[in-house]
Amino acid sequence: MNKPFDPAVREFLDGRIWLRQHTPFPMETIDAHIESGAIGTILGVTRKKGLFGQAQHTCNRCENTNPDLFTVFHCLRCEGPCAYCRNCLQMGRVSMCTDLMVWTGERTEYPTDHALAWEGTLTVHQQRASEELYESTLLARPHLIHAVCGSGKTEILFEPIHRLLSTGKRVCIAAPRVDVILELEPRLRAAFPSTTLEALYGGADVKAFDAQLILATTHQLYRFRHAFDAIFVDEADAFPYTAEKTLQHAVRKAVKPGAPIHFVTATPSDRLIAAVKKSGAVSTIYRRYHGHALPGPRYQPLWNYSKQLNKGHIPKALEAWILLRLKQDEPFLVFFHEIELMMKAESAIRKLDDRIRAVHSAHPDRKQHVQDLRSGLIPGLLTTTILERGITIKNIQVAFVGAEQSIFDRGALVQIGGRVGRNVNHPTGDFVLFHNGISYAMDSAKREINRLNAGGETP
Amino acid sequence: MKPCLLCMKSLTEVPSWQSFFGLEKKKTLCDSCSNRFKRADIKEEDAVLDAVHSLYEYDDAMRDWLHQYKFLQDIALAEVVAHDLRSAFSREDVIVPVPMHPERAKIRTFSHVEALLAAANRPYVQLLRKTNPGVMGEKSRQERLEMENLFALLPGAKVEPITYRLVDDIYTTGTTLRQAAAVLKQAGAARVEVVTLIRSVQK
Repeated sequence: MNKPFDPAVREFLDGRIWLRQHTPFPMETIDAHIESGAIGTILGVTRKKGLFGQAQHTCNRCENTNPDLFTVFHCLRCEGPCAYCRNCLQMGRVSMCTDLMVWTGERTEYPTDHALAWEGTLTVHQQRASEELYESTLLARPHLIHAVCGSGKTEILFEPIHRLLSTGKRVCIAAPRVDVILELEPRLRAAFPSTTLEALYGGADVKAFDAQLILATTHQLYRFRHAFDAIFVDEADAFPYTAEKTLQHAVRKAVKPGAPIHFVTATPSDRLIAAVKKSGAVSTIYRRYHGHALPGPRYQPLWNYSKQLNKGHIPKALEAWILLRLKQDEPFLVFFHEIELMMKAESAIRKLDDRIRAVHSAHPDRKQHVQDLRSGLIPGLLTTTILERGITIKNIQVAFVGAEQSIFDRGALVQIGGRVGRNVNHPTGDFVLFHNGISYAMDSAKREINRLNAGGETP
Repeated sequence: MKPCLLCMKSLTEVPSWQSFFGLEKKKTLCDSCSNRFKRADIKEEDAVLDAVHSLYEYDDAMRDWLHQYKFLQDIALAEVVAHDLRSAFSREDVIVPVPMHPERAKIRTFSHVEALLAAANRPYVQLLRKTNPGVMGEKSRQERLEMENLFALLPGAKVEPITYRLVDDIYTTGTTLRQAAAVLKQAGAARVEVVTLIRSVQK
């Protein structure tokens, strides 16, 4: 059954789920495609009666069913009570009287000729993980790459992705955070020079809608449906992916039925490991690519640090640590658990060196400051957990102020510690936890690092 | 518990005697989002408008709010300003919202000024209708000032010689409000006082 269609419409819509009103095409073109059956429509929000007769809404774009995230109002278009989804509102409002479109015509055939321009060599461990991952892809089962920070996780994906692309498959690498996507994009563009690749995140300028290899924040996957033959979720344990069910639904919805979802992370939760083991396989890498052990954390008390910082004093031990870094000319990161305390500390710490800056998620110059730290213009940064992952700076030293705070769980501590000693010429570094009492998470992180260094066995 | 209407973070509630007896103000925003909203309470008047009271200035917080409310059609955001808007009126006020063209209202799926008043729980009477479906925001200052009257009385509307309080979301050049007020005054209104949510000063 050959349905005639406009190739530009297919390029745009194939694999996506899109608001009928929000396309770059004229209404008549869209209507003609719906008429011919090349585009199918789905109601934006559906309502059904719950157990006690209450209305239960489902958003058909983001699969949100949380009643707190729907607003019911009197709609002047459908002239009655209507509900819209507030979970994916920023992508254009979806309500009970809006249509979503999906491509139901002939699917796109992707090119099978792809170059892999990456010239490095994998370590034995990476090679093994890479092969196991590809095997899982063939068997269409989920696979978890559990590899310590700095073991070269991205490189493990290259070979399996290349083989998938070469059989005309469409592939997605998803990550919960924009920073990770921005970091991956140039590396993948360099590795796959002849492949159409697109990076999708909030505010991205999209050129190739029909890209065969897509990098996307997990949020952007709300807009996809049955699009990919495999998805690799990088940093699968990062916020908000683990916290928001709809993001996990989005990933499942974005792959074709039966296609596998793979996970890559340094700090998988016990739940993720259990879930993948049930139906798939796990590859673990304990050694960094340069073969050195992970730097273990060092505890140092910093009693009543918040009181002192609030008064504008820098606690002695912290001051000494920063001065030592400045003297030895080593770049450093100091992690804080909350913005307010960090901003107070910033004004005090800048008296030691005025080039030191603080960054947080809403900071306007955040990207620039990180760039300056990398290029050596800034000796160190104060930061919240936003720089927890995806940042690689040669010879970086890391300190926590308030490591006992509940925001620093085991995963966060291991991740942040993983920033240290990634470079082959600087395989060690200081990783100090300034604390006001030792928490379970700190001990658990220390144990985990020791366990990984011992090759997965409890020492 | 519903999350914060703007940042979607869950609202943490501290149990207190006030909340136990249900005396606490209903929270729609988290503290950091609600701190962004700063009351300006600008009061002015001119030849046609006997008094103008604007609750907020057109700052970043209001720009984001207005964008999400009107253009992303997030009617739930009416709750955010409902309490402040309610306090701008007294019980005896006769409130007239600036109308939307029915075609425009159908596209937006709600009439934004009426939805604000409904959220503020203030009854209103509609005396005016919009005569053409044009949009103010898309016109230049010059075009706005030269426009024919945008409003007419609704068929059958009775205007008494009393004070009317005209309500709109944003006061920029004032053309819209002056034209609406002129129609009311011609029909016999004694005074027309204006309440707008936002005062936008053009630089």
